[in-house]
Order: sequence, then C-alpha cells, then structure tokens
Amino acid sequence: MSISRRVFVKSGGLALVSFGLDPLFLARAAFTSYEPLPPHAACCRPVLVCLFQRGAVDGLNMIVPHGDPIYYQERPRIAVPEKDVLDLDGYFGLHPGLAALKPLWEAKTLAAIHAIGSPDATRSHFDAQDYMESGTPGMKATPDGWLNRYCQHDREHQDTPFRAVAFGPQLPRILAGTAPSLAIDDLQAFGLRAPQPAARDRLTRAFEELYAGSATGLLSTSSREAFDAVQMLKRLDPGQYRPANGADYPRGRLGKALLEIAQLIKADIGLQVAFADVTGWDTHVNQGATEGQLAGRLGELGEALAAFTRDVGERMRDVVVLTMSEFGRTVRENGSSGTDHGHATAMLVLGGPVNGGRVLGKWPGLDPAQRFEGRDVAVTTDFRDLFAELLARHLGARDLSAVFPGFVANCERFPGAIRG
Amino acid sequence: MKNRVVWRSLVVVGACLPLVGAQHAAPPQSVMPGAALTPQDSALHVLNRLAYGPRPGDVPRVAAEGVMRWIDRQLSPDGIDDDRLALRERRFDILRYDRGDLAAMYTAAQRERRERKLAAGETAQDSDRLPDPMMLKNRRLASEFADLAVVRAALSERQLYEVMVDFWTNHFNVYFAKGADRFLTPDYIEHTIRPRAMGKFQDLLIATARSPAMLFYLDNWESVAPGTSPPFPLSARRRGGQGVRPVPKGINENYARELLELHTLGVDGGYTQQDVIDVARIFTGWSIERPQQGGDFEFHDWAHDRGEKLVLGVRFEGGHDMDEGIRLLKLLANHPATMHHVSRKLCQRFVNDDPPDGCVDDAVAAWRRSSGDMREVLRAIFHGPDFWAAANVRAKVKTPLEFVVSAARAVAAEPDTSPRLAQVVARLGEPLYLHVAPDGYPEREAAWVNSGALLDRMNAAVALASGKLPGVTVVLDSIVSAGDAEQLIGVVNEKILGGTMSENTKQVLRRELAGVGDPAQARALAVGLAIGGPEFQRQ
Repeated sequence: MSISRRVFVKSGGLALVSFGLDPLFLARAAFTSYEPLPPHAACCRPVLVCLFQRGAVDGLNMIVPHGDPIYYQERPRIAVPEKDVLDLDGYFGLHPGLAALKPLWEAKTLAAIHAIGSPDATRSHFDAQDYMESGTPGMKATPDGWLNRYCQHDREHQDTPFRAVAFGPQLPRILAGTAPSLAIDDLQAFGLRAPQPAARDRLTRAFEELYAGSATGLLSTSSREAFDAVQMLKRLDPGQYRPANGADYPRGRLGKALLEIAQLIKADIGLQVAFADVTGWDTHVNQGATEGQLAGRLGELGEALAAFTRDVGERMRDVVVLTMSEFGRTVRENGSSGTDHGHATAMLVLGGPVNGGRVLGKWPGLDPAQRFEGRDVAVTTDFRDLFAELLARHLGARDLSAVFPGFVANCERFPGAIRG
Repeated sequence: MKNRVVWRSLVVVGACLPLVGAQHAAPPQSVMPGAALTPQDSALHVLNRLAYGPRPGDVPRVAAEGVMRWIDRQLSPDGIDDDRLALRERRFDILRYDRGDLAAMYTAAQRERRERKLAAGETAQDSDRLPDPMMLKNRRLASEFADLAVVRAALSERQLYEVMVDFWTNHFNVYFAKGADRFLTPDYIEHTIRPRAMGKFQDLLIATARSPAMLFYLDNWESVAPGTSPPFPLSARRRGGQGVRPVPKGINENYARELLELHTLGVDGGYTQQDVIDVARIFTGWSIERPQQGGDFEFHDWAHDRGEKLVLGVRFEGGHDMDEGIRLLKLLANHPATMHHVSRKLCQRFVNDDPPDGCVDDAVAAWRRSSGDMREVLRAIFHGPDFWAAANVRAKVKTPLEFVVSAARAVAAEPDTSPRLAQVVARLGEPLYLHVAPDGYPEREAAWVNSGALLDRMNAAVALASGKLPGVTVVLDSIVSAGDAEQLIGVVNEKILGGTMSENTKQVLRRELAGVGDPAQARALAVGLAIGGPEFQRQ
C-alpha cells in the first residue's frame, strides 16, 4: 500500500515537473531559427481572420428573418422594412448596411450561421466574451484562449513570428497562452522607436546584440523572435503599402486592422491566424432600422470586409474571415428603441473556401414558445461547432479535444461552413 | 545557420539549470546569506524579491544594516516610517471617495450618456466619440487608481507590504470593468486587501468573501436557494448597462468553485462537484445591499438554503444561517490543502517559478505553527536555504509591473499623479485590476516574455532614460556622474544593474558609446540599454 502510493506520488511529481518545463519552452525553442519560408509553403497557407463584434451584435437585424411576421410584430420601430432588406433566400435577408457584401453572397463566398451562441445562459458581456475567447463556456479558470491552444497543438506552422497576430494594443484573451503570438497596434510602429531611421537601426542592432550575447532561456528565444519580426517588417516597409485593385478601406480602426492583415497575407510571411476587435454593438438605445446606429456600424463592417476581399484578391482562395459576437439581443425591442441582452446571434463566414450563398444552422423560429426563456433566439448551434469546423476543415487542425477541452467535436454537427 | 543550431541546444541546456539547481538546493541548514553570496549580492537579491528593486544607494545601505535585520523590519511594516508616501497619497482624488460616491458618479454619468444619446437620435454615434465631462472624470479616476498602485510600489518604504498587496490582489482577483466592480474595486483594495495583507490568512479570506466587489465579480450576490423569492420587488433592480434583470432563480456556483479551486484548496485539493454545489448552497443569501449604489454586504435570510450540507466530508446540519458560511471559511482557511496551495504560490512568487518542495514544506510548517500568520510564513521562506540558493538568484523574470517600477526606482524617477506610468505597465501587458479571469495575473515568466512585450520593454527603457517617458521626471546626472565611457559603464553596472552586467553587455555599451560625444546623451544611452537589456529583466 505505502509503496504503491509512494510510486504514485513520485511519478505524479515527475509528470508535473516535465509539464512545467516542456510545453512553452520546447515549443518556443523550436522557433529559434526562422528561415525564409519556401514560396510554396507560404503562398498556400490557409489563413483564418477572426473579427470579434464586442458588445453583442443584434443578429436579427444583421441577417434579417424578413419572412417571419413575428419579426415585424416585435420590432415596430427598429425592424428593417421589407422593401429595404436585401433578400438572400426568400426568408432571410441582409441588412442594407451590408450591401457591399451582397456580391460575395452571389459569388457563394459568403455564408451566415444563424441561431449560434453559447450553451451558457449568461447575459453578462464580461462572462460571455470570456467564454467565447477561452472556448470553455461555464469554466472561468481556463488560463488560455482557444486560438492560442490551436497554435500550441498545431506546431507545423510555427516557423514565423507572424503566425498568430492580434491587431490592437494588447493580446486578447483568445490568443493568450503559451504559443507565441504578437499584438500589433500599428505595423509601422512595431519595433524600436527612434526619431530617425539610422538611429532606429542602430538601437535595434545594439539591443539585438545585448540579447543575443547575454540573454538566457525564454528571454533569449523571445528576443530572437522579436528581432526576426522587426527584420521581416523592415523589408516589408509597411509605410509604402498601397491596397490593390482599387480597394478603399473605410477610415477607423477596423479598416486599418484589415488593411494591415491584408498586407501581411500578401507578404507571405506565414500569417495563419489574425484577430481584430470591432466595437459599438451594444445597442440598448436608438438602435435604428434601415439607418441609424446599427446601420452605421454594419456599413463600416461591410465596406471594410469588401475592401479587404478586393485587396487580398486571388489569395482569398486561402482565406476565411469569421465574425463572432458574445451573444445576440432580445427579439422584442425595448422601451428606448433598442434591444437588450439576448442569447443566440448570427455570425458571418466569408472567403474562397467557404460554402457560401446560404444561411446555415437550424433556425428555431421566433415564436415565443420556441424562444430561450421566452424572450431570446434559442441557440441551435454551439459556437464551438463552427470554430471547430474552421480549425479542422480550413486550417487542418488534428486534435480538437485539446483546443476545446470538455467538448467532443463531431463533424456531423459542423454547420457546413467550409466546402467539402 | 550553423550557429543557430548550436544556440538552440544551448538554450535547452540552460532551461534545465534552474530545475536542477532547485533539486540540489534542498537541505544544508547552514546556508544563510553569505555562504554563496556576498553581502552586496544578498542585499540585491532581497531588494529584487522582497521589494521592487533597489533605488540608487539601496544595495550598500541594506548590506550595511544587515540583510536579515532589513528583512525583519520589512516583516513589521507598521514600524516603518512612510511619511513621504502618505504625503504623495494626498494628491490622489480617488482616495477621497467611498464606494457610494463612486457609484453615484458612475450612474450619473451613465444616465447623462443615455440622455445625450436619446437626444442625439440618429447621430448617436457622434455622442459616443465625444465623452461628456462626467464620463471623463470617471475614466480619470479609474486610471488614477491604477497609477496609485504604481506610485505606492515605487515610493513606499514598506516594500514587502506593497509586494504582498500585489500578491493578494491577484490571488483574490476581481475585474474592474465588470459592471458594479467599476466602483466597488477601489474600496475592495483599500479596505479589504490592504489592511490584511500581512495578517492571518483566515481574516483576509473571510473579508474577501463578504466584500461587495467579490460577491459581484463571482456572481454570488445573486445566488439564491431554488424556489425562493424576495419579499420585495428585486426584479426592479437594474444593473449598469444590462437593463432589467430577471429574478435570480437558483444557486450560482461561480464563487463556490473559485473559492475552492483558486482561493483555498487548489485545483488538486481533493474536492468534488458535489462539494462545489454544497459550498454554493452554504453561501446562498450572501449578497449586496443595493449594488448599483455601492451598498455594503447584506445577508438575505429569505434566499438562504437552510438544508443540511456536506463539504469535504464535514457535515453542516440544517437550520443554520450566515454562521455556517463563516464556519466553512474557517475550515477552508486552515485546511492542509489550502496551506500547501497558498504556500506554494508564495514560494513561486519569492523563490522560483517552479518552487522547490523544501521551501513549500517550510512555509506550511510555519503556517501550522502560527495558525496562518502570513508574517511567519514569509519569515520561514526568507530564512530557508532555497531562498538563498545560487540557482534561485536572478532565476525569475520581472512582471511588467515589477519591470516598470524597478526601472523607475533604479533611476530615482519621480512619478506624478498622471496615469502615464500605469499606462506603460498596461502596454507591457498588465493593465492593473483588469485581469478578467479569477486566477489573477500569472507569476510564471512564460506569461510575460514574448516578442512584442520585450520590444515594448526596450522602448520604455529608452524613453525613461532619455526623460521622454510621460508621467515621470528623471534627472540622470544626479545618479550617474559624468566621466569617460569606461567610468560610465562602471557606474551603470554598479547602480542600475547591481554589478550583474555581463561582459557582452559591457562590450556592446563600449561600442555604442564610442560615437557619442554629448555626455547627457551618452548617459541616457547607457542607462536605456542597461534597463532595456537582458540583465535588468531578471530578478
């Protein structure tokens, strides 16, 4: 008894020790030599671009169920009038703000997934965003995000510092974790800052030598990654970038982020996972219908995505863009011509590999009896079914149970967003 | 390309060193400071770990006083005069408001914003972009609060106390940006964490369990026994930005789970899902009186589950009220798994990311002896051989907060009350009070060392040294006297790096300084490279 127990304790301790040392360190040690990617490896690399609509987008006014009279009964002031909806399939239609995306629908490179969301019932932005980024609804203590876990377990693309990039001042929860990922607020400002290019080069070289000669452990590997990224960006010269095919990005953070993502994709430096935030969806007050607050946000989103698609051009055959949002909004409009926190919402998927031209997912209907807690669109697709499909069928992920612990990914439940 | 391969294998070998060292660093009781470390090295070590790094002159000062005596003084913070910080704290407006004031200001700003939006109608987007004065004031106060933490860490003479405040702030993490925690968090830090940061663990645990900030953050305030309903219209309560809330319908396990997993027993602490449920039942009714107005803790008798519960095999017979929650917290605070879990985290903070077993055992023994008196637990850690083992010296990478504060202290920078320094900490990845998950900011280097963050550290170092870091005043010539390049390198090594400058760093500095004629520029360059360089990232 005591012997077997001791053996158990001992091996448990050993397991812990190797766990403490391995994943990050060995993973990072593996990226220490960046070679320029062979052209074929870089050009065909599948790319996933994730946009997080923070604040909970009103899925019902983004992908409008205009074929259901309940939609019009419940939203006398904010429903998009039948005449303004851009019909998609006779029942659903696009909000007119997304008109720029209609050609992508016609070309079957844009799909929508409706009634998608979290199995967790929370209506807190904080909790719901947290769950959507950790990929573990209901579990708050998960330390890392699902995009990072994907990078941890799929190491063959870890040959570049630009493998996973978040555009923004900080690394979001979705990319937090032990796999290296970059947060880039401004591509042009990435690296050391100095008034003149010569001073900047000199400072860069000095720090590079300090770290190459004196740093140990993770400081050493990470600094190497950093200076390789700086070198690669210098050759890229982001200040000189001009979008292709007359693409005209809207002003603002989203347009800038997508422009920089397009630039990195076209530069063939190994970008595989990109992430950006789009804010302003928490429309409790004066949401508007054909025009107004939500229309303005959707207009910017549509134009930015259309410009991105034009700019990336041929390479869109390897690119999938996903929009996600923490939950949807109430079916019925509230007293301030807005909507309150709901449950299921809609997500968009676009790009060459997309099984487009259709609204995917099982539509539960708007009848009060079919709603979640009598008020919200019910969730019929767990967001992990869609995320898992994109990872497996677009990026080629092999071990989904490691990316979504506690969730059994089943390809029969995939909504069918990627062409087979 | 060849040398890259060589370099890679070196790194792997290097990675094993701290671990091997940690295993070897077990007994010899005689290993107190001095055996392997000079008095200067020992002083630098304690200033790096028990404090936020040395200020100019601190290393010889602590060495002269005697390292162990200095540690003893730090363990009794009340005996340390801290007038200079007290004077500085008076400049922070945030300390003048209680949580009720902050709640009123927050809700007034929200209301004003809503009204402006309504009035603006279709052009509501524009009103979002032009925040009103109330909004700005709220934002200023929020960032001022983060800056207060940085200023205290930089200026306080009670350095170990400030380190422990940071430790507990993360151990009992709340998230500032979640609803009412925007106005509950300052009160939580000032009146729940700070007064108990060097006391008994049990007192701190009970205080956090009762704190409105924690009750709100982990949702316990709306956890009620199934089937119960309030004797007053609770459904009319509103929460910021979330509209009318439905009446809570049952227990919420959130707090119960994190209490066991993070605050006390640890994830391997031997509890089951049924334990979590029964703990949640015990805390039904632990709520907040008018959370939107910054109200205090309130026990709701009507919401409490009065049935029998079983937690970790201990029976809590039926018919009890709030008293059973207190009984449970005392049980958890003194549970062996809790002693081990929290002691291990302390050893991770003070000794090594992978804490040696001996260190944890010493801390647990002291915990038992002193019934969880944190000063005794810390004393045991600082007197243990692992703390002083050569393999553990400079084995840890600084967190962003530690890096920014230690850099400011190294050049005797004077932080002002603008939130700029806290913004640097945020840019490096550690926005204070804004860690969303309940586990708090991590202690392990893996969480902090990445390429983008390292470049940001270098930029911050260069900006600080050249006096361009907003929010701090630096007068380098008072610290680094003029002289030729060799003298300059010597002074920077001694005063900024505590004598740890590598031969490689000296060579790079020599070469970089060769072309610089202006002494002020040379000083700024040398100090910037030293603080942004690899030696300064370690502690």
